[in-house]
Amino acid sequence: MILVPVTYKGGIYRHDEIIDLIEDLGGYIIQKHVIAQEVVLQALVPKDDIGLIQRIGKPLTGELIPSPLVGTEIAVVTPSLEIHHLPHASCDVAEYIRRNGAKTNMVGLARGVGKRIAQLNDEERDVINEHDMAVYLLGDFETCIAHKFPALRRGIDVPIVLCGGPSTEVLRGIIDPPVAGYVGNVGRFMHRTKESEEIAVLEDVVAEVTRVLDTRREELAKDPLSISPARLMDVIEDKIDAIHEVLSPTPITVQMAGLRVKLPFDTFAPVLRRTEVEDGITIGDLATVLPSRMRNYILVRIRPFSESNLVV
Amino acid sequence: MEAVEYFQVECPEKAGGEYYQKIADVVLLDHNLLRVVRKLHVFIDPRIPLFIAVGVTRKMPGIIRLRDFSDVIVLDRKVTISLGEETYLAPLLRILWEKFGKERVEQPDRFTIILRLEEDVPAADIENIPVMDPSETIYKDLIYALQVIQPEGFRVRRQYYGGGKFYLVASEDTLPEDIEDLVREKFALMGETL
Repeated sequence: MILVPVTYKGGIYRHDEIIDLIEDLGGYIIQKHVIAQEVVLQALVPKDDIGLIQRIGKPLTGELIPSPLVGTEIAVVTPSLEIHHLPHASCDVAEYIRRNGAKTNMVGLARGVGKRIAQLNDEERDVINEHDMAVYLLGDFETCIAHKFPALRRGIDVPIVLCGGPSTEVLRGIIDPPVAGYVGNVGRFMHRTKESEEIAVLEDVVAEVTRVLDTRREELAKDPLSISPARLMDVIEDKIDAIHEVLSPTPITVQMAGLRVKLPFDTFAPVLRRTEVEDGITIGDLATVLPSRMRNYILVRIRPFSESNLVV
Repeated sequence: MEAVEYFQVECPEKAGGEYYQKIADVVLLDHNLLRVVRKLHVFIDPRIPLFIAVGVTRKMPGIIRLRDFSDVIVLDRKVTISLGEETYLAPLLRILWEKFGKERVEQPDRFTIILRLEEDVPAADIENIPVMDPSETIYKDLIYALQVIQPEGFRVRRQYYGGGKFYLVASEDTLPEDIEDLVREKFALMGETL
């Protein structure tokens, strides 16, 4: 069964029927937003059943939109989130990627500004490395980007998409060793994006992010994960009651090869490791349960089949 | 930027210069300063790195005195001030408290202030008390706007304003001692002298 990431938008009336349908078909609800009279579901659904969901959703004024970024967590890294320089371009970029289904986290560096003085501390490095990929939004000058980028990428092992004021070709030319993706013409500008050319640039960012994540997916497919992250989320929601007490919008954040569980590590890590998935196989057998650098959350990294010799 | 007589961004990187032209335009518009600035020259060299903004303002409105926005009636030792505009009330009250003491300043309602003067204080000059100098706040706003325009992280700054002219120099490194010569050069490009 191939699961595809989609966003369902529809009225709140009888939306629980859609949720039940997706779950009955073997899909997973990643996130549910209720905005006034509207409900937005980000879900992974079986490819063959998309037509069925559309048919059942139609009388409820629901529509199904393919969202390739559902089930990914992306860090949007910016040299500063200083109040004097608001609005930041990174706000619009993060929001635009979010609308395409990804869970984005803004990482405003403590000392990322300037050319010579820019630096990345260990906490920022570890937090960025916990994501599926990082989108770096730098400034308008190629001299500065060429000079400071090596300092800002030091120790980052997730794919990076670099955005900056100069054109894509210029960015590609000045970065060595190359990063996973480049988007030009999105540097520092001091206004919200409203014009169609600006929106087109945001589309380019989303397209580049999608392309990079597709490459990552292909790599993951070569050595499949022991369990799909969405299924593991379902197991945790079923078996650990405390997760329902968490008030965060996404108590469990789904990543491409893991999960971020928003429960205190010291109390819940042993519980999580012991939790049975099926037939005596526990989460500890399939995944590594690590402390996250983000608050005191838990980071679950699912092991590939080659390491665990198990697939459930 | 039609309202500005001279506006130029000088930068060794063409694309970067164009971005900063747009940024300066947006920031001055957002801060309502386009009408204040007559000439503006921005120089950015990311290689040094250095940011210089020099400019000339239009003629500023003069000092606002008490008589400009209120009626003053002097009756023996009692002075009644009827305010026409509330905008300057807060700075006016502060000045009156300082000058005459809080116990002698009464405000029975929003638009009236009553002063009870001491015997030896002359009542004639009260009308001419300077309440606010608009140029002072405009220059502060202008320098703040330039700080917004400058690249992020340029934390070493020198600024100046007065006599209708202003400049802001910023860098992330220590500023060179002869920086004023460079500022004068930039003023000369606009046909002005510092």
